[in-house]
This record gives sequence, C-alpha cells and structure tokens, in this order.
Amino acid sequence: MNVPYLTRRLLYGIPLVLGVTFISFLLMVYFGPDKTYELIGKNPTAEQIKEVRHALGYDRPFLLRYGEYLRELVTLDLGISDSNGERVSSILIRTLPVSIALVVPGFILGNLLGLGLGLLAAWYRGRWLDKLVMSASVVGMSISFLVIIIGLQILLCTPYGLNLFPVRGWQVHDIGSYLYYVAVPTLALVLVTLGYNTRFYRAVMVDEIERDHIRTLKAYGASPVELLFKHVLKNSLIPVLTRIMFSVPFVLISGSLLLESYFGIPGVGLVTFNAITSGDQPILKAVVGLTGVLFVVALTVNDMLYGVVDPRVTKWASKS
Amino acid sequence: MSIPALKVTNLSVWFEKDSERLKVVDQISFSIEAGDATGLVGESGCGKTMTAMAILGLLSKPGIKVCSDGIEVNGRNISTLTTAGRRSVLGRDIAMIFQQPATALDPVFTIGQQIGAVYRRHGGGDKQQTRKSMLEALESVGFRDARDIAASYPHELSGGMRQLTMIAMATVCKPAVIIADEPTTALDNSTRALILERLKHLQKLHRTAILFISHDLAVVRHICRDVLVMYCGRLIESTDCQNLFSHARHPYSAGLLSCIPQISGERPPAIKSIPGQLPPLTDLPVGCHFAPRCNRVEAQCRTSVPALDYENGRGAACFRPL
Amino acid sequence: MTRDTWQKLKSDRFGMSGLVVVMIFAMIAVLVWSGLLGQGWSEVTGNRFEGASAEHLFGTNLLGQDILQRTLSGTATAFEVGLLVTICSTLLGTLLGGLAGWYAHSWVDELILWLKGVLDSIPFYLFAAAVAFALQGSPWAMHLAMIVTFWTTTARIIRGEVMRIKEREFIEAARAIGLPGLKTVFRHVLPNTFHILLVQGTIVFVAAINTEVILSFLGLGIKDGVSWGLMLAESSQEVLAGHFGNFLAAGVSLFLLLMGFNLLADALQDALDTRRLLT
Repeated sequence: MNVPYLTRRLLYGIPLVLGVTFISFLLMVYFGPDKTYELIGKNPTAEQIKEVRHALGYDRPFLLRYGEYLRELVTLDLGISDSNGERVSSILIRTLPVSIALVVPGFILGNLLGLGLGLLAAWYRGRWLDKLVMSASVVGMSISFLVIIIGLQILLCTPYGLNLFPVRGWQVHDIGSYLYYVAVPTLALVLVTLGYNTRFYRAVMVDEIERDHIRTLKAYGASPVELLFKHVLKNSLIPVLTRIMFSVPFVLISGSLLLESYFGIPGVGLVTFNAITSGDQPILKAVVGLTGVLFVVALTVNDMLYGVVDPRVTKWASKS
Repeated sequence: MSIPALKVTNLSVWFEKDSERLKVVDQISFSIEAGDATGLVGESGCGKTMTAMAILGLLSKPGIKVCSDGIEVNGRNISTLTTAGRRSVLGRDIAMIFQQPATALDPVFTIGQQIGAVYRRHGGGDKQQTRKSMLEALESVGFRDARDIAASYPHELSGGMRQLTMIAMATVCKPAVIIADEPTTALDNSTRALILERLKHLQKLHRTAILFISHDLAVVRHICRDVLVMYCGRLIESTDCQNLFSHARHPYSAGLLSCIPQISGERPPAIKSIPGQLPPLTDLPVGCHFAPRCNRVEAQCRTSVPALDYENGRGAACFRPL
Repeated sequence: MTRDTWQKLKSDRFGMSGLVVVMIFAMIAVLVWSGLLGQGWSEVTGNRFEGASAEHLFGTNLLGQDILQRTLSGTATAFEVGLLVTICSTLLGTLLGGLAGWYAHSWVDELILWLKGVLDSIPFYLFAAAVAFALQGSPWAMHLAMIVTFWTTTARIIRGEVMRIKEREFIEAARAIGLPGLKTVFRHVLPNTFHILLVQGTIVFVAAINTEVILSFLGLGIKDGVSWGLMLAESSQEVLAGHFGNFLAAGVSLFLLLMGFNLLADALQDALDTRRLLT
C-alpha cells in the first residue's frame, strides 16, 4: 500500500468537496427561497421582518452562513423537513436502506450482464453475434428510461398486460415480498443501463483483446477461457472499476429518483422528488450536499483502488 | 535421412475482401533440421511475419485465409490439427519470440507467473516442478537473480531483460522449433549482441531449430547457417549464409547485399539502392514480382513465374540467376 | 470531414438511415417553427380520450387536445432544447477546454479541471432542481442546468487535443520565429477536432432530449409549451386506465429520433476511426 499515493488522492478530494458544497450552498441556500414572508402573517412591520430575518440567519455574512452549512453537513445536523416536521437526518436514515435495497440488484445485474455481453461481442467481433448484441444495445440506448418504466408497468402490472406485479408500493417484510416489489424496478434498471454498459464494456474488451500480450498468450496455447477470464478481465479491471464506481452515485440518485417516484417506493429518491415538487428546502440542501460529497468519495476510493489493482499505477504515482 | 524439425510445404496466405484476393504469402516451402538456424529475410511487408503467424496457426480472423500442403514439426502435421490439438502444440513443440518485448508480456502478472503458466499448461507437473523449471529457464538465459526476476512485473524490467524473459518462456518446455520474429530490432546494439549470444547458446544446448526472421542481414549472418530470402510473398532464394554473402544468385538478394554499408575493405563500394519501389499488394506484377526493378530482366520474366531452381543445394527463383 | 470519411459514411446503411430519420424530424421541427404544422397543440378540438380517427390521427388526450398536433409540436421543442444545449455546451466546452489545454498544468488548467470535477460530481437532477430553485422557476433553468453540466466532456476532449497539438507545434516552433499564440492553436485545433466535436455533439443532443424528458416528468422541464416529456408525464397515470395515446405517440417518436441519432453517431465514429482494417 503506497501511503503517500493514497494520502495525496485523499487530499485532492478536499477542494472538490468544498466546490460541491459551495455550489449546493449557493444555489439552494443563498439564492433559494426567502422564507421570511412565510413565517410572518399579513402586514408585517419593518420590526417584525427584521426579527424574523435575524432568526433565520439571513443577515449574517456569506462565509459564515457557508461555514454553517458545512458544519451542518459534517455533523449531520440537517434541520427539519418543511413538509412534515420530521428531522431530516432521521428521514435519511429511514429511507436510505430502502433505496439501496431497491437499486442494488438492478445495478449488479445490469453490470454483470453488460460485462458478459460485452465480452461475448468483443470475442466474436465482426461476426453475427457481435452485430446482434450491438444492435440490441443501440435499441436499448434509444428507449428513454421513462418509456421503459411506463412500458414495463403496462406489460407487467396492469390488466392490459400480464398483471403479475404490483403497480406501486413497498410492503416488504420477507424475501418473497421483497422479490415481488423489486422485480419490475430491477428489470427497468437493467434494461435502461444494459445498452450503455454493453457498448462500453465491449469497447474496453476489444481494446484489450487486440493487445500484443494476448497474441503472445495465443502463441503459447492459452485457451479462450483462460484468455478472456484470466487475462482480458484482469487487464480491463481499471476501466471497469472506474465505470462501476462512477455510476454508483448516479444510479443510486437518478435511478432511485425515477423508480421510487413512479412506483411509490419510500426511499431517498421519493423523498427528494417530493422535496423538489414541494420546494422543501432543508431536505434538498441536505441531499444535494451529501450526494456531492458521496460522489467525491467515490472518485477518491476509485483512485485509491487503482493503486491496488494495477501494479503499474503505484510505480508511476510514486514517481510523479 | 532424419526428420526435419520444421518442414513447411506450399504455404500460402491471402486476404479475401469482396471477392478480391490479395496474396501475402505465395507458396513458400522450406525445411529446417534439428539444431540448425535458418534466417528468413526480406524487406518490411514482404510477408515474413505472416509466414510465422501462419505456421503457428494464429491467423484465424475473418478475411484471412491460410492454405498449405503441410506444416510439420518433427514429422507431425500441425496444420491439420483441431484447435485444441494445436493449442497443445503451441509453446511445447514450437514457440515464438515476438518483436516488441515491451508489449508482449502481460503487465498485470509477474514474470514467474507467466512462464510458469506456459509450463503448467503443457502438462508440466505440480507447483514445485513448475517453479523449478521456470527458475531454470530464467537462469539458462543468463539471469543470476532468477527469483527476483520471477517476482517482478514486466514494466520493472528493461527491454533487453524482457526479451530474455521471452526467450526463457520460449524454451521452458524445450520445444523442437523456435521462431524468432525480429527479436532484436527494438533493442540497442549492446543488448542485441547479448540476446543473440544467449539464443545461440540455448540453441546448441537443446538442439532447437530456429527460424530467425529479420530484415537485417548482418544479424542473420551472425546466428544462422542457412538463409531464405523473400520478396513480395515469394521465396526467391534459398542457400546458406556464406554463399549468399559471397555470391548471391538472385538479383534481388544481390541488391539487398549491396545496400549494406560496408565498414571493412580499403575503399568500401558506394551504397547502392535497388531502384523502384515495392509493388502494392493490390497491384502485384504478373510473372516474376521483381521484374519491374530488375536489371537482368528479359521477356519471360514478365509472363511466367520462375520456380525455385536448385543447383548444388542452392536455389534461386530466377530465369537468369547471377 | 475528408472525402474518405464521407464515402465510408455513405456506405453505412444504418448510419444513413439514421441520418434520414433525423433529417425528417428536423424538417418537421422547421415546419412547426415556421407556423405550418402542429400549431393547434393547445386547442381543445375533441372530446376526452378519443381514439384514433380521421380527424384526430393519434386521438385526443385528457383535455381533448389533438395528440398528433402535440407530437409534432413536441418535435420542435425537442430540437430547440437539443440544439440550444448542444451548441452552447460545445462552445463553452471548446473555450474552456482550449484554455485548459493551452495553459496545461498551470493554475488556469487546474482551476478548470477542478470546476469540471465539481460539476461532474453533482448528481444532475438534483443540480437541475437546485438551479430551478435558485432561478425561482424560470423556464430557462433547465437549459442552463444542462449547459453548465454538459460542457465537461467536450472540454476534456478539446483539452486533450490542444495538449497534443501544442507538443507538435512547439517542435516546429523551435525552428520558426516566436511562439504560436493562442489564436493560432485554435486555428489548428478546430479543423482537426471538428469531426470529434460532431460525434460528441450528437451524443450531447441525445442526452439533452433524454434529460428534458425526465425533467419534465419531475416538473422541472418545459413550462409553457408541449414536449414529449410532458406528454409522457401525462401518460403515466393515463395508461393505468387504458389510454395509451400519449404514451405511444411520444414514446415512439422519442424512440425513432433517438435511434436515428444513435445510429448516426455510431456511423460517424466508425467512419472517422481510421485505425481499424477489418470491422
């Protein structure tokens, strides 16, 4: 473990976190809605306005307010939701596990299938199997997420289709009910990401398969299985890992946003969606700030993993 | 007569694109005895590497066709083997050393892992035996610190060391034939000498037949007994090195030799170059491919293809050999 | 684009059909803009949820508006969003990427890279919500949010190209008099990167349309006017009751346009990829 390399990656993340939180703060708090008038009744006097503004902290200097925001994020003292008065942090604690349970199966499946199909297409490059996989991918990429969700709902959840699964809801108390409620959203997630994943993984694999060391392996009698699963996969771990790490926050947030608002699943996405439509500032502040931080963490972890996976990286990194 | 270590009969390789045939290798035949080294020389693009790849059966991409009357290693025809059969032969009975040591090795595995894998793949034995043979192979190419090298990754070694590693990989199963494709082209002169010397040593030790591909005649002369000259996919001269250098029979070979800058001699002759250019694959001349550039050309050269005509064991594909 | 590239493009049947599809949609958009088509998208001309008929080829929606008209008008919206976002983000990306590449490893470069990193780290839909918040619900919030986040990929590409060309220019410049100025580099970079920018442009266009769809569903998208995203958002409840008009019209149109662009982008990329001999 190359410690200087790791600490350097960590330090590099700090300006990013600051930047992200700064933008969140700017947009949500500074330019955000002025709550003064909500809290005051009709015909406020200048005195009352001043009092409320002071209580809300609007009259304090910019940097101080930003600092407070940072403190709130770090200590997870995130305030109270506008819509139901519940503490934001407890809302998040309640809803985050649901979102994770919702998104993880589709995410894993989507990537595994994408890897497998990409590998297949790359190995049989130029032949009919490759063309089939690629055509299917392009079609998959061209269907909007929304269309997929609605379409699947029609097909699987309504009497106009197979009516096998629920239209909405999340009454999960055991494995059976979990599978019942997670099936359609997982299918939607897999379908929407499969096209992109397959194309990406295929490109990575094609690059790897073309390399000289694969030719050497072939010249020494290595079987296709050994070539693909031992050598090509290991060499392509870096781009694969990068992609996975980068897409985790994306899928978690955007995926859960749409899926939950659509299927009425009480996770972070639904909470965020409601907050967006109702303008619930404390929740949005918290979610935007925290997810930004999550992204940066994912980036940093990703960089650190490079050093573990690829022996060349630590050497270069320790030189620079 | 003993069975040659490598015998190639009428090997041809061509590209097929929209019913157009581009012949890259045209009916090459030769044989190498055990313990002998034969050079395969010619300009870049004349089909040398393609020949090597075709011998090993590594050209199974769509659009490339390979055809021969036999590729025999120690009498066994490997061109008719199944894919699985061929895989068991590659690395065990016939091995190849590639030109670019920098990229020929897998960057995420150690040297020891890669060489060991070759040994184990060909039924080498258990872990202990594998490790022992792997270290022996490394020592035999001259590494004194074989254990350290085995634990290193390719990027931690220099170009010369990587090529030595490749030689170790090629010899770990003690194959009957080694094909070396421009193994020293990418290296500097001092390393080149080292590699060549190591190759020669191993060749004598294991009585391996070597097919040494190069565009550099000087290097070939150093290590090979016989030499084959290729031009535009065809074999145009087959003789032993001494004869080639003292009296080449084919005009092209003679031209190649006169291109080599000579340092020895009182007044070295001026460097001549062969007039004209290599014809493109898509537009090869009918008859002898070299006719347009030859200063001994006559009418039949442009219409018929001269066969490799042997005289005292020396062959030249020419109607008017020197 | 060189003649070779154009030839290769022409021979790619999928790519050409993609181009044709895009052109057809573009034509529709132009016709809508010039007032010849799809003008009646907000008029109530029929009863609720009429099926397909001679008068209403795609039927009517909840309010009795003609779905065909809305679909046609939605085409124009899609192109408006797509073109605006693509052009602006490409310009921004080229400018910032060029600056970053030219002053590579200096504070300018680091600053722009940091900005890129920050913007890449903010989950887009939340950012769009935040921008909408900050702009108090302006209809341009969506476009702004997209432009501000989509320039990063273009910038990365341009930065790389400028850095490569800078190396080459310096070698020549060593013999020439004086260093090439920023303007000269742009003059060299742009012709060479035009095709890459074209491919990237199609990708951004697709992303913009896709994003608009989801933003409209979330209520953060098009406010005044009709878009396929809005139609799909409407349809989300309707389909449960068996009314598929909106869903099919918007869904299929979206699919066709996106397919067209994707095929075109692929064909462009293949045509420009001079490395490969066999597929």
